Amino acid sequence: MASRWLRLVLVLFFVLALQTTLFAQLRPFGVAGQVLLLFTACAGVTYGVSVGTITGLVAGLMYDFTLATPIGIGSLTLGVVGATAGVYLYFFPNPIWWLRIFAIACASALGEVYYPIALAMVGLDGWIQFRLLKIIAVVVVINILFAPVMLIVSRWTLSERKRTN
Amino acid sequence: MATANTNRRRAIILLTISSLFLITLDLQNSTAASGLRSVFGIFFRPVEGLTRVFTRPIGNAWFGITNYNDVLDENSFLRQQIAQQEGATVAAAASVRLSQELLALNGLPTLAGINAVTAQVIGESPTNYSQTIEINQGNESGIRVGMPVLNAAGLIGKITKVFENRSSIMLITDPDFSISIKVVSAGRSATATTISKGTSATTSTAVPLEVSPLLPDSETTTTTTTTTPIAGFTATVTTLPSTPQGVTSITVPKASDLAVRETGALEGQGPSRQPTVRFVDNSVRFGDIEVGVPIVTAGGSRSLAPPDIMIGNVSRVIERLGSAGPLLEIRLVADLSNLSFLRILLYQPITEKK
Repeated sequence: MASRWLRLVLVLFFVLALQTTLFAQLRPFGVAGQVLLLFTACAGVTYGVSVGTITGLVAGLMYDFTLATPIGIGSLTLGVVGATAGVYLYFFPNPIWWLRIFAIACASALGEVYYPIALAMVGLDGWIQFRLLKIIAVVVVINILFAPVMLIVSRWTLSERKRTN
Repeated sequence: MATANTNRRRAIILLTISSLFLITLDLQNSTAASGLRSVFGIFFRPVEGLTRVFTRPIGNAWFGITNYNDVLDENSFLRQQIAQQEGATVAAAASVRLSQELLALNGLPTLAGINAVTAQVIGESPTNYSQTIEINQGNESGIRVGMPVLNAAGLIGKITKVFENRSSIMLITDPDFSISIKVVSAGRSATATTISKGTSATTSTAVPLEVSPLLPDSETTTTTTTTTPIAGFTATVTTLPSTPQGVTSITVPKASDLAVRETGALEGQGPSRQPTVRFVDNSVRFGDIEVGVPIVTAGGSRSLAPPDIMIGNVSRVIERLGSAGPLLEIRLVADLSNLSFLRILLYQPITEKK
């Protein structure tokens, strides 16, 4: 049986490929949708803080390898996003579907704030502008639209399957 | 369950420390970081290529739906523009050729003497916090980090990462982009009077304010001609006819037509703002900078690009108090939203050589 973490890496390869092709190309209002951020938020709201954080750290690290920004920035940012999304399970252990979507939207918005802050912390400032509000709005809307699908994908990817003899 | 939690905590700590370590390495431009990127690329590129095959039709359909009317309008506008510019292009090409010949004749560097590689844009940055694009040429074509990238209109950015057969370009609008530039202004003209002693005619010539021509005090009985060089300009010497009374006069070249140059630093401000130019001196000779004045690369041994590559023109001048000098907003000549084929000048600045 493949471990959930091996499955995670393999699925993230395809999610990352979607990010660097389709979502990098289609830019509603000039903003690229962030499907890795969505995946991390989904993992967080489904499986809690620790799984959300690991998913975010791994997804961010893979994302960083394709970006021109320093490796590690995306990893830490998505790690924090996964943890933030996971905190939601403490307050609503058995959430209804729309509360889950709402939590994903909040985590997505925060993720888009964390990233320029992280960049500024390593000296790559200049991204905290009014445009950030537009980015947050578009990313949140896209993530809400794709959240139902991504919740299924993340649940399947990170599910712990029982060993059968 | 407890073991699983411990393992997860360990994994989180390990990944966090690794991330911090990698940030440190990458900020120091370590080769290990670029090596890791290359290794990851070996596994990821095939997956990305496969995904692109499936996602391209979706992208095309999206652009077909959202941009169809714009494309039609743009097409008719461009046809009209092409018709207008065909004649001008021939004249411009002749002027450029003439200019390059003159520069070469005087031993000055020209862009024609620098080899270039043509590349196609194959991807945009997937993030909203980086103004980068990817092209399909890399190390194999002789591309190195720091080389300037142009399109048909002018400078668009510089190479920041190079792999075997692809490279990343940081666009001129990225907040981390900076380059030394020249502001080419017509200069401020003023009327300088040639002092004559005697009763002969007085001539007036326009010269920049900063230049004060040497005016001899002593009275002479013969016609004297002095030439004042201005900013490397060699003036033609004009000899005034001698007059019976004796005239002292200075021949000053007509400098009102000279292009005066001032340097500054152009910095990107993100995709939604125009790049700005700082550190422009508030010199009297340079005069007031007007909207529409062209901005070109400054060149020089430490510049990222050779001189005189067109960047844009001044769209707004923001005056600042004190000695800070004005802040200029620049309208780029290159349309960064629609990049397809690019030219990479095989010119590596000294600062990027290892």
